[in-house]
Amino acid sequence: MLNQSNIGLIFLSAFLVNNILLIRFLGLCSFIGISTHLRSSVGMGMAVVFVTVMACSISWAVYDYLLIPFHLEYLRTAAFILTIASFVQFEEIIIRKKVPALYKAFGIYLPLITTNCAILASAFLGIDYKLSFIQNLVFAFGISFGYCFIIILFASIRERVDSAPIPASFRGVPIAFILTGLMSLAFMGFKGLFRL
Amino acid sequence: MNKKEIITGIVVLLLVSLLSGYLLSWLYGATRPRIDEQKKIEAARINREIFPEAASFSDVTSEDSMTFVKVFNAEGNAVGRVFDIFPAGYGGPIEAKVGIDKELRVKGARILSHTETPGLGSKITGMGFLDQFKEKAGTSLYLKKDNPEGTVDAITGATISSRAVADGIRKLQEKLSGAEK
Amino acid sequence: MKQLIDFRSFYAGIWKENPIFFIMLGLCPLLAVSASLKDALGMGAAFMFVLAGSNITVSCIRRWVPSHIRIPVFIVVIATFVTVVDYSMAAFLPPLHRNLGVYLPLMVVNCILLGRAEAFASKNNIINSALDGLGMGLGFTLAILVIAAIREIPGQGTVFGINILGKNYTPFLIMIMPPGAFLVIGFLMALKNRIGRKNKC
Repeated sequence: MLNQSNIGLIFLSAFLVNNILLIRFLGLCSFIGISTHLRSSVGMGMAVVFVTVMACSISWAVYDYLLIPFHLEYLRTAAFILTIASFVQFEEIIIRKKVPALYKAFGIYLPLITTNCAILASAFLGIDYKLSFIQNLVFAFGISFGYCFIIILFASIRERVDSAPIPASFRGVPIAFILTGLMSLAFMGFKGLFRL
Repeated sequence: MNKKEIITGIVVLLLVSLLSGYLLSWLYGATRPRIDEQKKIEAARINREIFPEAASFSDVTSEDSMTFVKVFNAEGNAVGRVFDIFPAGYGGPIEAKVGIDKELRVKGARILSHTETPGLGSKITGMGFLDQFKEKAGTSLYLKKDNPEGTVDAITGATISSRAVADGIRKLQEKLSGAEK
Repeated sequence: MKQLIDFRSFYAGIWKENPIFFIMLGLCPLLAVSASLKDALGMGAAFMFVLAGSNITVSCIRRWVPSHIRIPVFIVVIATFVTVVDYSMAAFLPPLHRNLGVYLPLMVVNCILLGRAEAFASKNNIINSALDGLGMGLGFTLAILVIAAIREIPGQGTVFGINILGKNYTPFLIMIMPPGAFLVIGFLMALKNRIGRKNKC
């Protein structure tokens, strides 16, 4: 339960203090795979922000206006994942037609997002923390910006690291995890930044 | 995708969803009472730790923005109340139960959940720290370093966590004393 | 040649195609619950149940599910099993359920579940699909237990909650916190690479 209703603090908490990647361990599969290049990371980051904010809002609405009135809260796992999958599908079709440039920018990352645990987690956490609609919106923004920020930061580091002399066993995924560990260590410094 | 395929697709999906929904609603009905029961048992267990003489409890009541249960001994007399408090700790909100006896002194406290630093702030769950609050009231519920009348020792290296718990308990106790006056 | 009972997939799931170390799917819950062996075992068991269950179900209905609608159908099946585990655990093992928290329902997007349903269960008979599910689930559980052991023993001085390093042991705290998890898996992956390379020679 969040006993802080200040919007700015909800955002900062989701963005920095409880960063979705470095502290909550969510969204890792796509993170490790895509952060090898800066350009794809930017694309993925943007896609994540867009889908998370929209999907979390829709899921919140589904929970509040559909599941609760019918006492179907236990269906939330299935409901949310279907909502997210449908939304991604639907929105891919729309974007392809209306804004082809954006569609090209997102590339293949848009459909890939359905399996990104970060998005489903944001939906769940919004409900668990009993947030209002606006709070949930800000929370989703915070989480997705956290993801976007870290993946871009990380991609920049990785591009440099690739030209460094790394022992053969560590090249690729292992060093990526170790780097993530170091970043996570740095981000732990944000804990206790404010009482949330 | 022609029409027939769309229709069969939707039908199959609907069938599967309905079956799954049916199974889950059955499951929910079967487990819900047990889940609620577990919560009650757990709460009662903690309440009994705080009030060893407790024999029964009232239902959860909410008054004046405070949530509590009344505690009754074996003779059926009220011996106190157990409150739920959520002080803001170092890493996030701390969930705790505080027992207040009839003389409005702290009977005991237990930490239910927290996100404090493991090894440091997490020590607030230890009885060494929590026992300090027993039988105290008013300004003695401050940390020694926060107030000359305080009697509570903070945990070394976990001042903020300790302060959060102490302040949370003290504020509750003061609110009750103030309300009673 | 498709046999009626084929153990190859079972064994593969445990070692050669261990989902965590070799296919690197399903990392999210791994790091979050591997701080303690008890939680890791709980998560692993839950995962095995869901994987085996969804594999069996998908295999049962594979003849009647049109190809273009299979992914949503698989998702519904998986979500159902995850919810079953979620609520059963809440009812019968509340402390474990509380420790696993949000990572338990999050299993529904675990790529392994959908991946196996798609790649195997939809094309093989029930028994083999069950074996595949159990094998992969076992592999996942073993991997998560290894990581949990590496994290819990130095990080808390306990094994399954039983203190084995004595009362005066000052825990190596970073091991049970997020950075520790990343570092452990990074080094384990490097180790796996090293073993892999040696075998190639």
